[in-house]
This record gives sequence, C-alpha cells and structure tokens, in this order.
Amino acid sequence: MTHRTFGERTIVVAGILGAIVILLGATRLGFVAVPTPLGDATIMHLPVIIGGILEGPVVGVILGALFGIFSFLQVGSPIFKDPLVSILPRLFIGITAYLAYATFRRVSEYAALIVAAVVGTLTNTILVLGVAVLRGYLTSEAAVGYGIAAAVPEAILAVIVVVAVITAWKRIETGRGKSRV
Amino acid sequence: MEDFEYLRHVTIGQYLPGSSMVHRLDPRTKMVVLVLIAAAITLNMSYTANIILLAISVLYVQLARVPLGYILGGVKPVLPFIAFLAAMQLLFYGNQFIGPNMPNIVLWQWGIIHVTTGSVQLVIISILRFLQLLLLASLLTNTTTTTELTHGMESLLRPLGRLGVPAHELSLVGTIALRFVPILAEQLEMIVKAQASRGAETVSKGPFHFLQAARQLAVLVVPLFMDAFRRAEDLILAMQARCYVGGKNRTNLIELHLGRADYRAIGINLVLVVLLIAARNRFLF
Repeated sequence: MTHRTFGERTIVVAGILGAIVILLGATRLGFVAVPTPLGDATIMHLPVIIGGILEGPVVGVILGALFGIFSFLQVGSPIFKDPLVSILPRLFIGITAYLAYATFRRVSEYAALIVAAVVGTLTNTILVLGVAVLRGYLTSEAAVGYGIAAAVPEAILAVIVVVAVITAWKRIETGRGKSRV
Repeated sequence: MEDFEYLRHVTIGQYLPGSSMVHRLDPRTKMVVLVLIAAAITLNMSYTANIILLAISVLYVQLARVPLGYILGGVKPVLPFIAFLAAMQLLFYGNQFIGPNMPNIVLWQWGIIHVTTGSVQLVIISILRFLQLLLLASLLTNTTTTTELTHGMESLLRPLGRLGVPAHELSLVGTIALRFVPILAEQLEMIVKAQASRGAETVSKGPFHFLQAARQLAVLVVPLFMDAFRRAEDLILAMQARCYVGGKNRTNLIELHLGRADYRAIGINLVLVVLLIAARNRFLF
C-alpha cells in the first residue's frame, strides 16, 4: 500500500533535498545577482526539479511543498505571504519536470535533462505570476514583463546546474567515473 | 573569513526559548490557530478587519514575550520589494480594485496612471496583511522547537492516514530535512574553502557578471548535491539494514497532550475568525 510508494528511498531523498532547499534559501546562496525587476534570480527550485527527475513525481510534490512552505515563512517579497502564491504553484514543479524528463528520455538523456530543467523553471515562473495576477497583486502586463526577465536567466542557470548534477551523479552511481570532493 | 561562515546565516526556525503562555501551548494548537487566522486574513479586504487582525497579531506577539523589533528587524532587506510592489499597485490598479462598501474616487489621473481611493486601499491592506502574516508565521517558529513542530504536524496529518496520506512518513521527511540543514551547511563551508584555496572567486561581483556568477555557483552546488546524495544512500542503506517500517504502530518518545488552555485558545480564535469572515462585507470602511 502506502509503504511501497513511500519507502525509505522516497523519505530520505525528499528529506535531504529538502535540507538543500532550506540551506539555499537561508544562506542566500540560492539567489544569483541578476538585474530583474522582482529581485535576484533564484535556484531554490532546482532541488525540486532534480528530485522529480531522479525519484519521480511523489518526491517532486513533497519537495515542492517544502519549498513553498519555506518561501511562505521566509521574509521575502510580500506577494509570497499569500499561501496560494507561495505554496500551491510549487507543487507542480516536480511533476512537470518529471513528465518532461520521462517523455524526452527516449530521444536522449541530455535533451531530456535540458527540457526538464526548462519546463520546471517555467512552471514555477508562470504559475507563481499567474496566481499573483489572479489574486490581484500584479497587472497582467507587468507579470509578462517580469516573467520574461526572470525566466530567461533562471532557465539558463537551471539547465547548467541540473545537467551538471545529474550527469555527475549518474556517472558516480554506475561507477564509470571517479569524482570526489 | 566571514564569507565562509554559512552556518551562522541559517536562521529558519530560530527558536527563542521562553516560558510564556504561547510557548507552553501545544504545537498543534499554534498551527491550527495560524491556519485559522491566515484564512481570515486572506478573505478580509476592509480597513477595519485588517486593523483588528493586526492588533490580534501584535497582542499574540506580546503574549509570547517575543520582542516585536526582533521580528520586524528581518524586514529591512526586503523593503525595496515592498516599496516597488506598493508603487505598482498604487499607480496601475485604479480600475481593478474597489473596496467593499466604498465608492471608488479618482484622486489623480495622468495618461494610463490613475490613483484612486481603491488603489490606496489595496496598498495599505497589502502592507497590513504582510505584517500580520509575518508576525504570526515568525511567532510560530520563534516559540516552537522543530521537534515539537514535526510531532505536531504528524499528529495533525494522522486522521488523513485513512485517505492514504502517509502522515508518519511525511513528518519523517520534515525531520530529516531539518536535521540535515546544519550537516550540509558545514559541508558547504568546506566546499567553499576548498574551492577558495584553489583560487576560485567565491564572492559575487555584482549583477552584470551573470555567466561568471553561474559558473561560481556550479562549482559550489554540484559538489554539495553529490555529498547530499552520498549521505542519502548511506541513510537508505542504514534504514534497510534495520528493516525500517514506518506508519501506524510506531510509538513516540514525546506524547502531545491538549490541555484546557489549548481548547480555550482554539475556541476563542475559531469564534473570532468565523465572526470576521461572516462580517467581511459588512464593515463600513
């Protein structure tokens, strides 16, 4: 029953990647200084994408929820003090990233990783800004402007980090390469 | 050397020890009250209701004997965001927001920009809401230890177990996440030092060195993930070796008990929230 979909692997990977989400947010390492109107570009959603790709949608949803709760509790842009903006959209990042990866995996591993990183990032940007518009925090014109300004650097960062992390890990896992810090 | 100290900046769940009334409440009570009041805050748009809610939030902070300045001190770095959003709402929202029982009067118009009483209200209410939720959310983490929080979360989710929600497993995810933050922070510090000793620039050069910033980030984040995955594999192996089975029949070291004060706190807040939500369109201003 629940144990099979919710084994040790799911719990541990979600927990430890969740720790990275919190760490990236709390140390500000998760924000890269980029001139966008809404502030710095973020990479806090990357553990969610990576979790979704490696362990599937269940881990993706849990990590998305952790990311959302953290951005709700953290002192940040006031629009994130609304749980509908901060938590709800984040639940979908892991799911779309996983689906994109699963779809394109047959074509090529690298292509799948790149597409998943971009899709995951866009899910975050579009849904967060979409809900913000629906809730009346931003006008739709402004949201489109921010969306483009924030999504492009974030997608580039996401592709670089996701591809680097997952290829590095898979190489270690299969024992083909030697990588030690 | 300050650039290397990541552990110091981890401030989530900054628990401030104390023995106030709020500290002594059951963690479940505090979470339920937070959710209730957050619902009232989200649904109320009038000045009256929001001032009442702000007064309640301040009162609770006072009851917990958490210094108000301590919570508000965290707002400083985000003041530019708040100012920016407020300006946006003030200038471009003239048409789209009209308060419940008030006429929308145009105060100033220039091209597509028009400031109305509605947009002024939107700005003030947004700022009030932000303050209320900031005070209440910080109050929860300031007066409750992380262990209490995870136990509370587990016990609140338990009734959902019948619907297939794995309450125990989810709270274990939370415990692992909070437990591993300091471990990974230490690891991160080591990675930064290792990279710096090889001549890597770890200090950001400002907003216009985007690709450089991305490269700096990759040399820190990739080893961090590798270390995290390695630790995850070890922990999974350890759990499997001990035949870990989660769920129903596990017992806890800490048993939570709801006391009279808890029922009273939940009762009072429930009545208050129901009244505020029921009357949300009846306030005159």
